[in-house]
Amino acid sequence: MPSSEAPPEFLSSVKLKYVRLGYQYLANHMATVLLVPVMVGFLLEALKQDPAELVSLWRALGISAVQILSTFFVLVLVGTAYFMSRPRPVYLVDFACFRPASNCRVPFATFLEHARLMPFFDEKSVRFQVRILERSGLGEETCLPPANHYIPPRASLEAARAEAELVIFSAVDELIAKTGVKPKDIDILVVNCSLFCPTPSLSAMVVNKYKLRSNILSFNLSGMGCSAGLISIDLARDLLQAHPNSYALVISTEIITPNYYAGNERAMLLPNCLFRMGAAALLLSNCRRDRGRAKYRLLHVVRSHKGADDRAYRCVFEEEDRDGNSGINLSKDLMAIAGEALKTNITTVGPLVLPVTEQLRFLASLVARRLMGASRPGWRPYIPDFKRAFEHFCIHAGGRAVIDELQRSLGLSAANVEASRMALHRFGNTSSSSLWYELGYIEAKGRMRRGDRVWMIGFGSGFKCNSAVWRCLRSVSTPVDGPWTDCIHRYPVDIPEVVKLL
Amino acid sequence: MTAGRERRVTLCAKTTAVSAIPVRPGKTHPLSALDHAMARHFLRLVFYFRAAPTLTKSRLMNSLSEVLSYYPAVTGRLHREPVEDAAGGGSEWRWVVKCNDAGLRLVEARAHTTLDEWLASATDGEEMDLAHSEPMGHDTSIWSPYCVQLTEFDDGAVAIGLSSAHINADLTSAILIVRAWSDAHRRACIVFPPFLHAPALDPRPNPNPNSALFSSKSAAAAASTEPAATTKMSSATFVFSDASVKSLLSDAGDASPFDALAALFWTRIAAPELGAADLTLGIDMRKRMHAPLPYAFYGNAFHFYRVRGVDLGAGLSRVAAEIRRVGEGVREEDFWEAVEWLHERRPGRREAEPAFQVYGPELTCVEVDRDAFAYGTPFEDNDGCRPAHVTCRVDGTEGAGLVLVMPAAAEGAARQVVVTLPDDVVAKVCRDAAIAKYEPTVLFAPAGVKKG
Repeated sequence: MPSSEAPPEFLSSVKLKYVRLGYQYLANHMATVLLVPVMVGFLLEALKQDPAELVSLWRALGISAVQILSTFFVLVLVGTAYFMSRPRPVYLVDFACFRPASNCRVPFATFLEHARLMPFFDEKSVRFQVRILERSGLGEETCLPPANHYIPPRASLEAARAEAELVIFSAVDELIAKTGVKPKDIDILVVNCSLFCPTPSLSAMVVNKYKLRSNILSFNLSGMGCSAGLISIDLARDLLQAHPNSYALVISTEIITPNYYAGNERAMLLPNCLFRMGAAALLLSNCRRDRGRAKYRLLHVVRSHKGADDRAYRCVFEEEDRDGNSGINLSKDLMAIAGEALKTNITTVGPLVLPVTEQLRFLASLVARRLMGASRPGWRPYIPDFKRAFEHFCIHAGGRAVIDELQRSLGLSAANVEASRMALHRFGNTSSSSLWYELGYIEAKGRMRRGDRVWMIGFGSGFKCNSAVWRCLRSVSTPVDGPWTDCIHRYPVDIPEVVKLL
Repeated sequence: MTAGRERRVTLCAKTTAVSAIPVRPGKTHPLSALDHAMARHFLRLVFYFRAAPTLTKSRLMNSLSEVLSYYPAVTGRLHREPVEDAAGGGSEWRWVVKCNDAGLRLVEARAHTTLDEWLASATDGEEMDLAHSEPMGHDTSIWSPYCVQLTEFDDGAVAIGLSSAHINADLTSAILIVRAWSDAHRRACIVFPPFLHAPALDPRPNPNPNSALFSSKSAAAAASTEPAATTKMSSATFVFSDASVKSLLSDAGDASPFDALAALFWTRIAAPELGAADLTLGIDMRKRMHAPLPYAFYGNAFHFYRVRGVDLGAGLSRVAAEIRRVGEGVREEDFWEAVEWLHERRPGRREAEPAFQVYGPELTCVEVDRDAFAYGTPFEDNDGCRPAHVTCRVDGTEGAGLVLVMPAAAEGAARQVVVTLPDDVVAKVCRDAAIAKYEPTVLFAPAGVKKG
């Protein structure tokens, strides 16, 4: 709950609300507000004059044809240079998410039974996993890959490849069906999967399956954590600036078959409980002709890397425990570091997206703090109201704690984070593809209208915080064919604080 | 048993099959008094199917998930629920299936032989390698009462083994689970969806508890303070063709195939002592009630009754006629009285008595699958994919043994008889001339017994 004192009576009266709205409109459209009266006045003055007087006034200026022509030429030159140097627009034509089969699902009771039956977990580890699962915010329909359902899990290279093929190919098949793009037309391919990195790479696997062109620009990003989806988009965007009229296929996934932690270190057991199967495939384009059919346009991508700080660097660390089992160690100050990374990120995103009034307020608060001294009690730094800049928020569904922390620090309402919570409940933490499941939720609920802006925030190991800002180009009408098709009518659900399992 | 021969079945992996649709939280399925009485027994079924294109492990697991959505009681776990006691004692409990959506255990295995070779040469012990089951242990919350084993043979044939605690379901329910699975696999409508209504077998408003049979069993169990010298039991399967059964019926006079076969095996097991003898019989009461229960009523609904003082030397037809007479005389009233008697003495109550064997220890003969569901479970859309063979066994039948009579693969009056008897009696019965007269095919006999 965002904490704020109850506003005094007069502040909440209706008349003052309109005064505030008027002020906001004035400040945000300052240029228009200043220019329009000037232009109107000028026009009225010109209309009052006699046409013959206007002509003689024009002649009196003594501008020759050459000067007019050269002015015109200069204007054309400047205009062309301006338009050529602007970055190419990047459109998201469409995206598709992997839909897990319901026989891969992991009910809580099954997960706990398996944890008890595994020979390598001791009693304390089992109880810890129970506590995590109870408070995780996951539902009963999240899915694990088939290899992780065995007692004990049968993780092999072959099983990991099988999971990769299953999730990636079904997402890409769905994307091709939705967009009608021909595989031979794809010019850029970026695949990101943090924990599984075989040879040949997953991007080579995609090239092989879909028979992509031999001069494709393919990239495989591994080891970059849960925010790698936005890093891939940034890379694709930069490539699309260099190559006109191109299509970029971006695939975000996380392969969890090889990463089951079989030890008893508590900090390393969390990924077992939270990570689930998922993948997303997107088609980006910089062709002007796709503007009509594209769903979104990429406005900004902002990346912040806190790796220079040792504490942030070791915050999410893959290592071996005392018994030689490798797993991902999540440190206790993960939330604090995430908060700092977010602050760095929004410091850059803020000026790009916030309306002028919010920026003025933030500036005022900054100046006031500097003048009055930061030690004045009760004076908390002003957090800009991002709800005024965005209609929808997609927060990486890393866990309930992450979503709670972001809701609190950004002052978001429950409705703003609903997409993230419901995606966590239905699909679990699908790592880099979770942002796309959340966007799919917003679309499936019919809330995406033309002109809406979406803010995607991803966190990942390193410690990185990346954001992307999208604008919706055409309203998405329900029903939407996607991963939420057969369950959207049941959402939103009320997720209890603690689910009693035992 | 299989001394000197390597095990031909290797278990590859163990997993859990979950239902496709989550179970509504908080659902429970209470068990009836009859269920509680069956605590000492386990069912083992094996269905053999010849190779077919859709009979792959992955597709079978998919269809199993779909069918489990209809059976929340199968994917649940047994739980001792404290019962509100009128006297305020608070120490009473009853078994309840907590439908917590945990799934059922699934074991994948490989058999290093072809199906035909297996049917020709496997022994009774080897056959139970195809229906893996896990002992209950002390913690029932993580023990799956059901265990399905999918075994692949070298020629692509598949054996589906289902083992279950008898406390959850009787043979009819277990067979209909596999039947529903086959319907789901063919993407056809499930013809016998489960009827999960435990209060169907609650005692009547004016109970009249009375069961001579169970009283004597209970007394015998209480009396035997030292553990009975467990005679080693083995099993054999006799498959009688349509013609054989018809010729048997002509010898046995006016009797049903069950009566005739029960009489035949009873006389031959008891031979050479052919005096007055008693036999315990069991039948499915689902359709013999005034308000009949659906076939797919989930739970135990068998009634056990005794045939007393039959002179086994009087000839096959007389014995069969006697069995038939007593069978027809079974009233629904007897069944309800037995259920009410069990209700008063169910485990968990203060008046509970120690658990006794329901199938045995005296010789018991049970008619299974009267309506031929087991062989009517094709997993593919052509009739050629009906099971090649179905085996039903019940564990925990120490003593004189158990004779199960059920329909066979062939149409018509063909029957198969699965006997679980002490070692020496099985050997005797397999070599018996009176039975061999009807030319049964003997399958899954113990090693060392000459077949035919």
